[in-house]
Amino acid sequence: MAWTWFHRLASPPHLYAFAARATPWLGWPATLLILGGLYGGLVLAPPDYQQGDDFRIIYVHAPSAWMSLMVYVTMASAAAIALIWRMKVAHAVAASCAPIGASFTLAALVTGSLWGRKMWGTYWEWDPRLTSELILLFLYIGYMALRSAIEELQRADRASALLAIVGVVNVPIIHYSVIWWNSLHQAPSVMKLAKPAMPASMLAPLLMMLAGFTLLFGALLLVRVRAEVLRRERSAGWIRAALAG
Amino acid sequence: MSTFFYMGGYAAFVWPSYALTLAIVLLNVLWARRALARARVEARRRLASQAGAP
Repeated sequence: MAWTWFHRLASPPHLYAFAARATPWLGWPATLLILGGLYGGLVLAPPDYQQGDDFRIIYVHAPSAWMSLMVYVTMASAAAIALIWRMKVAHAVAASCAPIGASFTLAALVTGSLWGRKMWGTYWEWDPRLTSELILLFLYIGYMALRSAIEELQRADRASALLAIVGVVNVPIIHYSVIWWNSLHQAPSVMKLAKPAMPASMLAPLLMMLAGFTLLFGALLLVRVRAEVLRRERSAGWIRAALAG
Repeated sequence: MSTFFYMGGYAAFVWPSYALTLAIVLLNVLWARRALARARVEARRRLASQAGAP
């Protein structure tokens, strides 16, 4: 049962139709969660007792940083599935992830830098967390550059998939950098097993933003995958069906 | 209202952070839609050229 569902998604026409139907179911909840999270974060949450209102940067910084990692893991997983099972649509999924991930990695770096200016007294420091996040941005950019440098699609798919998979070692380095090394960056305050180090009025908007960004990624990915699948398709029959829908 | 925009003296750091992140969210929506629109135009052109071929 589960496998027939999986195989149907692996077929481009089914994936295209499924993505078209599923997009609003992710896009609208994402919009509502982000709007709610913004209101909660900017208006309802009290100022931090140490950081004042500067801490509100967390509501855009943490979701962006979360996106940068989640998108990379999705991209590398799709690349691995594509290489192992020779599944073409998985290459389309991996290729669709890169621009989304790159842009949110940039957001995470810049918002972190703005937050660091007052809290650490510097916009930038060659700190383990900051440096490994910057390497993540370079991985995304390298992935996109590699794809656009190789003319033949199949070779571009395979080469970029390898790069994505090798680069995944950077993900645990980013996550654990604040624990392994003596970093300026604070340790996780939400994603830990014990109770989060935040009152509910501060935590709720953050969770809404994290959920909203995650759903937004889903919606963006579905739209991009449709574009990528359509671009790769040569069979006239289903292109006609896709364009009609 | 003005105290809201003042952000306890951190306005110069809080507002650019929000502006940049929301711009990137909106740009991502725009870019994704544009990618799909372009792929559809290109697919339509490919169909037309296939139909035109003998």
